[in-house]
Amino acid sequence: MALFLAFDASNNPLNTNAWAFPVCEILHILGFAVAIGTITMVDLRLLGIGLKKETAADLLKGTFAWTLGGLALVLITGPLIFSSDPTMYLRNASFRFKLTMLVLAIIFNYTIHRWVALKKAQGGLAVLTGVVSLALWVSVIFGGIFIAFV
Amino acid sequence: MPPEIVQWLQNMSLATAIRESAIVFPVILSLHLTGMGLFGGMILMTDLRLLGIALTKHPVSDIVNGLRPWKHLGLTLTAGCGILLLWSKAAIYYPNPYLRLKLVIFALIIIHAVVFRGVYRHVADLDHTKAIPRRAKMAAVLSMVLWISVLSAGRWIGYWEPKGGPAAADRVVLQLDADASR
Repeated sequence: MALFLAFDASNNPLNTNAWAFPVCEILHILGFAVAIGTITMVDLRLLGIGLKKETAADLLKGTFAWTLGGLALVLITGPLIFSSDPTMYLRNASFRFKLTMLVLAIIFNYTIHRWVALKKAQGGLAVLTGVVSLALWVSVIFGGIFIAFV
Repeated sequence: MPPEIVQWLQNMSLATAIRESAIVFPVILSLHLTGMGLFGGMILMTDLRLLGIALTKHPVSDIVNGLRPWKHLGLTLTAGCGILLLWSKAAIYYPNPYLRLKLVIFALIIIHAVVFRGVYRHVADLDHTKAIPRRAKMAAVLSMVLWISVLSAGRWIGYWEPKGGPAAADRVVLQLDADASR
C-alpha cells in the first residue's frame, strides 16, 4: 500500500498523453462487455430463460476463451487506469467495493458457476447460481461507475 | 436544433432532477454500462459466430436467434438510459462534437441494418452451408467496427471541453451535483 502511495503518477503517460487514458477506458469497457456478455449467456441458460437449444455446459465451453480474453483485457487496462491516481483509488470507497466484488465474481465464476454449469445442474441450484453471478457482475459495474461520484 | 430548445429540454423538471441528484445520474450511467455488458458482449458473440471464430460447435441460427431477444433487451436498456443522460444535460452535450459523431455512427448502424437485413433474417440458411458467405462475414466485421466506434465516440464525449477555457460545462455540473449532495 505504501508503495502505491509513494508512486509518483504525475509523469505517468496516462496523465501526460491525452489519448492514453480514454483508450484504456474504451478497452476496459470492451473487455468487460465481452466477459460479462459471455458469462451472462451461461447465466441465462442456468436460469432457463435463454439459449435453451444449448446446454449450459456447451455454452460455458464455447465462451470460455472469450470470457478469459475479456477478463484479461480488463485486468490489463484496470491496473493501468489505477496507476493514473493510486492514492485517490485506494481512498475511494466505491473502488474498494468494486475490487472486492470483482475478486468474488472471478472466484465464483471459476469455481461454483463453472461447476454448476458443467454438472448440467437444473432447478434451484442452477437458478441461484445464475442470479448470484449476474448480481456480482452488475455490482462490479455499479462500483466502477460510482468511483467518479463518491 | 436551436440552442433554446436544448436548454428548454435540460431545464425540464425531470431532466434537472436527474442531473442534480448525486445518486440518480450515476445509477442511470451504471445501467447504461450494464446494458452494454449485455448488448455489447452478445453482439460481439453474434458477429464472431457469423465469422466462424466463436461457438462454432453451435448452429449459427441457435446463437443468432437465441441471443436476439437479450440483445434487444440490452439495447433498450443502454439506449433508454443514454437518452435520459443526454436529456438531463442536453444543453451541455449539444455542442459536443463527439456526441454528433456518435449520432452519425448510429445513422450508419441503421443503414447497416437495412443493407444486411437479409443476412440476419435468413440466418437459418447459414446452418447448412459449408462456408459462411462473404456477405454475412462483411456484415459481422462492419457491425463490430461500428459498435466499437460508438463506444469510443461515447467515451470521448466526456473528454471534450468547450472553447474558452478549461472550465468544461460538464465539470461545472458535476460541481453543482456535489454541492447539491452536501
